Amino acid sequence: MTVAGLYCDYLDRKEQTTSNMLGAMLKQLVGRGNIPEDIRKGFEDAKDHFGGVPPQVPQVVNMLKTAIGQRQWVVICIDGLDESLPVHRAGLLKSLRAIAQEMPNVRLFLTGRPFISGEVEKHFPDVYSISVSPTKEDTKAFLRIKLDEDPEPEAMDENLRADIMEIIPKTISEMYI
Amino acid sequence: MDRSITRSFNSNSFNNVNNVSNFNTTINDDKAQVLQWLSPLEPQKRYQHLRESRLEGVGEWIFRTSEFQRWNAGEDGPAHSVLFCHGDPGVGKTHLR
Repeated sequence: MTVAGLYCDYLDRKEQTTSNMLGAMLKQLVGRGNIPEDIRKGFEDAKDHFGGVPPQVPQVVNMLKTAIGQRQWVVICIDGLDESLPVHRAGLLKSLRAIAQEMPNVRLFLTGRPFISGEVEKHFPDVYSISVSPTKEDTKAFLRIKLDEDPEPEAMDENLRADIMEIIPKTISEMYI
Repeated sequence: MDRSITRSFNSNSFNNVNNVSNFNTTINDDKAQVLQWLSPLEPQKRYQHLRESRLEGVGEWIFRTSEFQRWNAGEDGPAHSVLFCHGDPGVGKTHLR
């Protein structure tokens, strides 16, 4: 199984165009071995004829399909979809749909804020959706590590520690209900 | 004295830059250029950072959800190849395992 991932980021949203985002995933698929022939040819053509312009979306989609086709399973993970610009995100979802329809060996793992659920469902009507909220056990694991790293352990006693472990996970899980 | 240290430091770092670029063009051929042409984005760097900062065990509950298991099993056909995890900022989407 091969995993390619991408983090959408408000700070990078101008540079995170559809083509750059797809290209970033392709780079991870092909970066470890020799560059596949179709990609090398695209690169040389761009250098010779167009002064090195970056690949266009349909070209990257085709190169991605070829690269995915040469692997057994590919999982594409995209974090923070909502942080990309709507126009780039629309192109990305459309391209991913085309890839998922044609390649049976690809799976998509997407995350984002709830407000983009509609957009995701529009492109993928059969999407599985999971609502993420911090579980009590996650909060406890986090607190345990933070308490162990306490720079002033002499200020801590068993009662305070027990209160922290009880009250904070409870409050946090209520916040997100 | 200070000035000569600065100068030798500068010339050293200049040499290093030269060495690095020679190494890239001769050993790696133009692979780096091709990858850069595909995209200037480098999500691997962010991944490395997050991997180091995430806490062991956090987010593992997702494996026990029926949605994850069905997505992972892939028995419902290609139309069901997408899993979408949604939540407000800070709930832990980035740190899901």
